[in-house]
Formats: sequence, C-alpha cells, structure tokens
Amino acid sequence: MAATDTVTAAPRVEASASAWRRLLADPLGAFGLALVVLIVASAIFADWLAQYPPTQLDIRNKFSEPTLIHWLGTDHLGRDTFSRVVYGGRIALWVSLVAVSISLVLGLVLGMLAGYGPRWLDSFLMLVFDAVRSFPTIMFALAVVIMLGPSLETVIFIVVVTSIPVYGRIVRTLTLSMRVNEFILAERSLGAGPVRVLFHHVLPNVIGPVLILASMEIPVVITIEAGLSFLGVGVRPPTPSWGSILNDGYAFIRDTPWLVLAGGMPVIVTTLGFTFLGESLRDIFDPRLRRD
Amino acid sequence: MLKSRINRREFLATTALGGAIAAAGPYRPAEAQTKSLKVRSYIAPERLDPIHYLGAPEADIFDCLYPGLISYKPGKEWGWQLDAATSIEQVDPTHVKFELKKGLGWSGGNGEVTAEDVKFSYERIAKPENKSPYRGDWEALDRVDVTSSHTGVIVLKEPFIPLFSTTLPRAAGNIVCKKAVEKLDGQRFTLEPPATFGAYKIKKIEPRVRFTLERNPGWPGERAMFDEVDFVVVTDANAAETAFATGELDVALLPMTAVPRLRKAMPPKSKLVVSPSLAYWWLGMQMEDGIFKDKRVRQAVQYAVDAQSVLDGAFFGVAERSTGIIAPGMIGHRPANKIAKPDLDRARKLLAEAGHPRGFKTEIGVRNSAEFINVGQVIAAGLAQVGIQAEVAPFDSGVQKAMASDKAGGWKKMQMHVVRFSMAPDPSWATVWFTKEQIGEWNWERFPDAEYNDLHKAALREYDAKKRHDMYVRMQDIMEDSGAYVFLTHGVNPVLHRDHFIPALAPDGNRVYVTKFKST
Repeated sequence: MAATDTVTAAPRVEASASAWRRLLADPLGAFGLALVVLIVASAIFADWLAQYPPTQLDIRNKFSEPTLIHWLGTDHLGRDTFSRVVYGGRIALWVSLVAVSISLVLGLVLGMLAGYGPRWLDSFLMLVFDAVRSFPTIMFALAVVIMLGPSLETVIFIVVVTSIPVYGRIVRTLTLSMRVNEFILAERSLGAGPVRVLFHHVLPNVIGPVLILASMEIPVVITIEAGLSFLGVGVRPPTPSWGSILNDGYAFIRDTPWLVLAGGMPVIVTTLGFTFLGESLRDIFDPRLRRD
Repeated sequence: MLKSRINRREFLATTALGGAIAAAGPYRPAEAQTKSLKVRSYIAPERLDPIHYLGAPEADIFDCLYPGLISYKPGKEWGWQLDAATSIEQVDPTHVKFELKKGLGWSGGNGEVTAEDVKFSYERIAKPENKSPYRGDWEALDRVDVTSSHTGVIVLKEPFIPLFSTTLPRAAGNIVCKKAVEKLDGQRFTLEPPATFGAYKIKKIEPRVRFTLERNPGWPGERAMFDEVDFVVVTDANAAETAFATGELDVALLPMTAVPRLRKAMPPKSKLVVSPSLAYWWLGMQMEDGIFKDKRVRQAVQYAVDAQSVLDGAFFGVAERSTGIIAPGMIGHRPANKIAKPDLDRARKLLAEAGHPRGFKTEIGVRNSAEFINVGQVIAAGLAQVGIQAEVAPFDSGVQKAMASDKAGGWKKMQMHVVRFSMAPDPSWATVWFTKEQIGEWNWERFPDAEYNDLHKAALREYDAKKRHDMYVRMQDIMEDSGAYVFLTHGVNPVLHRDHFIPALAPDGNRVYVTKFKST
C-alpha cells in the first residue's frame, strides 16, 4: 500500500506544480492572483495598515483631501477614509468567505441528494431551488431585511439562501451524470451504501468545478454586501463597509469626489481580481472551457 | 470624406460661449418666468384628502385646490389671513362665526362652496368613527352650525387655544366638497379629488412622478403668478440639487448639510432662504422594558451624548442645540437644558451604579437617510467613550412605527432611537405625542407621566399666556428628568429658489404657498 501511495502522490504534486506554472503563465490569471493576494493581505493586516481606528471622528477635519496623513482623505465626519476602506475590505471578505462556504457546503449536499436520491426528492429540491431563484435578489434581500432587521448576519443569510441553488443545480447535474458511471455501479454492486458512494466517489469528482464556481461567486457576494450597505440595509454603521463608504460618497459628492472613488475602487479591483483568477483556474482545471 | 469646417479659434469661441451659457444657468425668457413653476415634492403624494394626508407636500397641493377659511401668512412671523372666508370671528371661547366668499364654485357641476361643505369637512375629521390621524386638531369640536348658505358657527365643547394657530390654517381647516365626497366609497379619496374650487385645478397626474396644476379660470380671488404649477417628485436630496441646477426645479427644500456648500457657491440666478424650523430632533430611550428601564442608564446616556458634536458632525454646524420640543419664539420654549454639556465621569459613575461598569451593547434605530444615520453615528461615537457600544440600525420610517405599535411586543426591540417630528406653531402640537394615550403609537419612549398628561390637557384650555408658557416648560422639564430624552436640535429648512420671484414660504420654510408667489 505504501508503494501505491508513493506512486499516486507524485503525479498529484506534479499536477499541482503544473497548475501553478500555468496560472502564472496566464497574464490575466497572474494579475488576478496578485490583486486577490493584495486584497486578502490588506484585510488580514488591517490593524497594522490602518493609521486610525475606522470609527474615530475628527469633525473639524472633515472632507480633507488625500494627504500624507490621510492617504485617501477624510469623510464627512472626519474619519480616515483609507482606514475605513481597509477595514471595509475585512468585512467584505469575511462576509463573502463565510457566506460562500456555507452555501457551497449546503449546495453540495443538497445537489448530491437531488442527483443521487429518489426522483421525488429531486423534484422537490428543484422546485425549492427554482422558487428561490425566481425572486430578484435585491427584492428578496429588502424583504428579509424588513423582517430581520439590517445586520451582518442578515446579509450572510440572504447570500446563503440565494446562492445555494447555484451550487445545488450544478452539483445535481454532475451527480446525475456520474451515477450511471461504471465505477459507481461496480461500487454499488459490491454493497456500498449511498453515503459511501456520495462522499467517497461523487464528491471528489464534483468538488473541483464547484470550487472554481465559488471563487467566481466571491465578487458577486462582495457586490451584494456593498449594494445592501449602500442602500442602508447591510452592515450597520459605524462599522465600515465599502457600500456605506460609497453611500457617504454619493450623499456628499458635491463636497468631495474622493469618497466615491475610495468606496468604488476596492469593489472594482476585487471583482476584477477574483474574476480573472477564477476564469484562469477554470481554464486550467477544465480544458474543455479553455479560451482560444 | 467629410472635412470639418470648424477651425481652432471657432472651436474655442464656441466652447467659451457654451461654458458662459452653462455658467449663467438655465435660460428662461420673460414670458416663461410666469408661465410655469416647478416645485420639489420630497415625498410622492399619495393622499390629497385632508382627513388622512401624509405630509406637507400634499398639503401644498390641496391648498391650491381647496383652501380653508384661513391660511398662514407667508413670511417670517407666524400669523393667519383670510382665504375662502370673508370674515371669521371668535365671539366667545367656544363659538367662532365665519362667512364664506361668494362665487366659489366646485368643479364638476357640484355647485357653489357653502357652509354645509365647511360643516361636512370639519365634522368628518372630528368623528371618532372616521379614525382620522388628525382628529386631535378637532378634538374640541362639538359641531358646526349652518346659519345660511355662506355663514356658520363653529361650536366647541370647550375652549381650544390652538384653533387659530394650528387647526384652521392647516390641512384640518381645508374645505372639501360634501356632495362629491359623499358619493365616494368610504367617503375619502387619495390622488384624485372629486371636486376642487381653488386658484388652480388639476391638469395632469403622473403618480410618483409629477402633479401638474393649471390656473382655474373660475377662481374669483387674487390671480396667482403662474399659469401652471408642477409638483415634481424628487425624493433624493442630491437629485433635487441636480434638478435645480439643470432647470428641472424652481423651488427645492434641501437638507441642512447643503447650506455651507451653497453659501460658498450659489447656483446662478438663484437665492437661498434658510428658515429656522419648528420641527424637533431628539434621542429617545424606550423606558418600559430592557436595559433602559433603569433610570441611571438613561441618565448616563444623557451625560454621555455630546449634542454639539452631533450638530457639527451631522448638520455641519448649521443648526443650534434645542432645549426641548418647542422652538424658540413659541410659547413654552425652554431657556436651557438641565444637562447642557456632556459629563463623561458622571456617565461612567451612573453606569457603574447600574451594574454596567464596562458599558453594554445596544442599537440606535434611525430613519434610513444620510442625516439620521450621521446623527446616529456621532452619538454612537460619544457613547463609545463610556463603554456603550451602539450600532446604528437604519429602518424605513413605517417599520419603526410598526414596531412601536406592535401589540405582540415588537416595541421591546426598540432601545434607543433618533427621531424627528414635524411641528405646527402651537406647543400642544409637540406635547400631544408624549402623552400616555400615545404609548403604542407615537410615544416611542413609552413615557407614562401623569403630571405631564394633566398639564397637556390643562394647557389646551389655558388662555393666560404666562401660565400656559410655564406649563409647557414644566412638561419639558419632566421629559428631561425622566432620562428618556436628549434634545438635539430644531434644525433649519433651506429652500433654494430662482431669483425672478419671491417665494411664499411658511415662516419655518416647510410649506410652499404657490398661489401667493410674487414677481420680483
């Protein structure tokens, strides 16, 4: 067995190294990776990067233009915009990672159950997925916020509920195509139960494409969080969020243009970063979809 | 291939001319200056019926269509003038005689405006079964006696001081057509009044977009300045400023934060009127349940809030600190707050006594608009200094009201809230909302003081101005002593308008009387 392990481990390491090489060789992929690393690093090291607490007021110094002291200027309450952007990034990434992870896990489980389970369960889950997807996200979000009140947890709940069908549908399709494969039939004929089949054979084969999809969902979630915060129904003030910085920028655009830029640029950069990276990963791991 | 015939000099000259035109502001030929007026409506009008209207912009519209016996005088001082009446006289504390102008004709063949219409309009608001939110305006009404087709007597059950200051000149005093309204389902209407008689009539209604009026040729009164008036719905303050700059609006009520910017750089051919508002902003604490049930916690908040920072931060220093719910210049205005400045040590001591030496977590409910959110954020920053971690929770105004009225206990979720109430020029209009009867309605603090209630009722009947003043001052003292209130400001109402007319605004700038505009 040890010999077999050695034999199978080597190609995996090689494949992984090859994927890295191909990612770095793709200019857009490498650029996306660099942006993602930059954003993640700034969120992790926000405490060191930010020069001021993000909620500290300095009302006399409101609407300061960018200076050496305030790199992105100050807002209408004299708060340091750079500090708020950096901490806002932490919130955006935290919301997106938590929400995407939860919806990914639930989407995987429900999708596999739909694809592998009895016909009635498949029909029921598809009905639920379609019902959820038929609501426009923002309308659904506003309704939920009215019921639960605006908070970070509400934003995560909204994203999870609206994202599960995205993963669930894809996993179901992949599972349906796999369940008739010979190695699955062989495993079942040897007495394997559905849990073993799903988690030992189906899951490893569907997880790759779904992870790539998840990486491309992160900017979507960040945009949803920013959008809800912009509308005043997302992250509660004074907690910084890119959306609320944008909203402040909009409210005071006649006084300063810097707030709109400071709130808008991180959303654009993050979206580009994750999208480029996700597309490149998709090309690497699924050559059928590779761009010409 | 086409060649450009414009050389560099022509291009520069054209650009310069275009820039000069743009800088000069929207061009309006002389005849256009009296042809139409575009007024910002900061809410979308939904109910043009005085029995259940929602806000001042709606009242601005129905003042043009069916005025009352009297109306406020535009200008800087509060006072009233005759409108649909030729005379009105208080013959004793409970009887008011009036005579209507002759020749006021309802549209749609509904005949002349008569004293029967006045009786119908006022009694319909007063009747409890009609459940008008404005019933309080006619709380003292016994009946209206019709003495002839154009004369009548308003008979009160008891003396009612606010009759001439807030009931008759406001929406509760507007006259609707008895004959036409009685034909309606439920005898009330929303966007389409069944009959009008004022200086203007309806030309076109585009719900949630604009409401266009045109001159009523049958109006026998003073001729209004404009042939047409457009009430344009622009709910967003930024959009309103842009609309003014591009000529889409001629009159616009703007937020307080626009004032410093406009004073630095006014749009061309325009003027800014900044009027002291009667409205009142405060930070309230729900005192019946939860952490703020303890008076020491409420007082700690009173000592921790730096109201001056709120004014500087959220209102850019344009507004003054208020000393209560009654504005300067009115009977009952309090000279000073008991807690005038923050005292953080005292706040910390009170919190420690209440068992919260390290503070606690809470939330400040606010209306979902920039002004309210900013007030909440500055208050939160102040509270953080004594360990109270407050998050700002923005709500649509209807949601907050629903929570406050929730009989299943939804009100318990309300802890602190920043609120602004609009106001009419009589102190009773402010104090009425904090009576025990308003718990579960507008008394969001659930402030239950018996002495306050008694004073409110007594002040409505008190003719002695000094005694009445003292009563209202005492009521605000009781409010502050309860710990549930931090009075913030009355604010100002900035109105931006074109300079080719003199706008007729209420003294607080919150109402626009378009029939009384004058040419410069």
